[in-house]
Amino acid sequence: MRYYELIYIVSSSVERKKNDQAMKDIGKKIEETGSKIINHIIWGKKKLAYPIKGNTYGTYILAHYQGGDNDKLQEFDSWLKLSDLAIRHMIVKLDEKPDIVKSLEENDADEKGKDKSSDEENLKKEKNKDEKKKETE
Amino acid sequence: MAFQTRRKYCFFKENNITAVDYKDVKLLKRFTNDNGKIMPRRVTGTSAKMHRKVVGAIKRARTIGLMPFVDSGSE
Repeated sequence: MRYYELIYIVSSSVERKKNDQAMKDIGKKIEETGSKIINHIIWGKKKLAYPIKGNTYGTYILAHYQGGDNDKLQEFDSWLKLSDLAIRHMIVKLDEKPDIVKSLEENDADEKGKDKSSDEENLKKEKNKDEKKKETE
Repeated sequence: MAFQTRRKYCFFKENNITAVDYKDVKLLKRFTNDNGKIMPRRVTGTSAKMHRKVVGAIKRARTIGLMPFVDSGSE
């Protein structure tokens, strides 16, 4: 059995309702290929590393599924590329069966908190450096 | 001043990591420089096996917009 991971970005300017609609549509299409969906969750809103189709922010959505009919899966890939639902998507083959994930958004919040603290530490370090420089001068 | 010798080691071997996920941007950023370029093995000290995995993961992260192809830093 083959397991796949689909990750796609929905424009952050889209409303939450439309977001859910996109998830429904894509979920339906995946099931039409004879695949079994394991996870289909929102990863969270993130800043894109570079603008994609004029968007600087995007909502990442993650789906894990057990592969069905191969030809239909290829069709699904091209359908997703042509549709306006996602601004970018990527399908990756997984080595192992994925675990069932309930939510990823909580973990994100923790990471954000950590990032902030590390930023503060960096700032402090920089300040200390500046002070030292002044002292030496 | 004499050169300070810094021991090179494989980050993954030290931490017992065998798989690299493209979604783990925090980890992957260790292996790129400030411009977003992938650093060579001779700099990072990563084993050949893990370096190949890191390179693949960084490239995947780039296509999905998690990491920059080029980070000019002026945003």
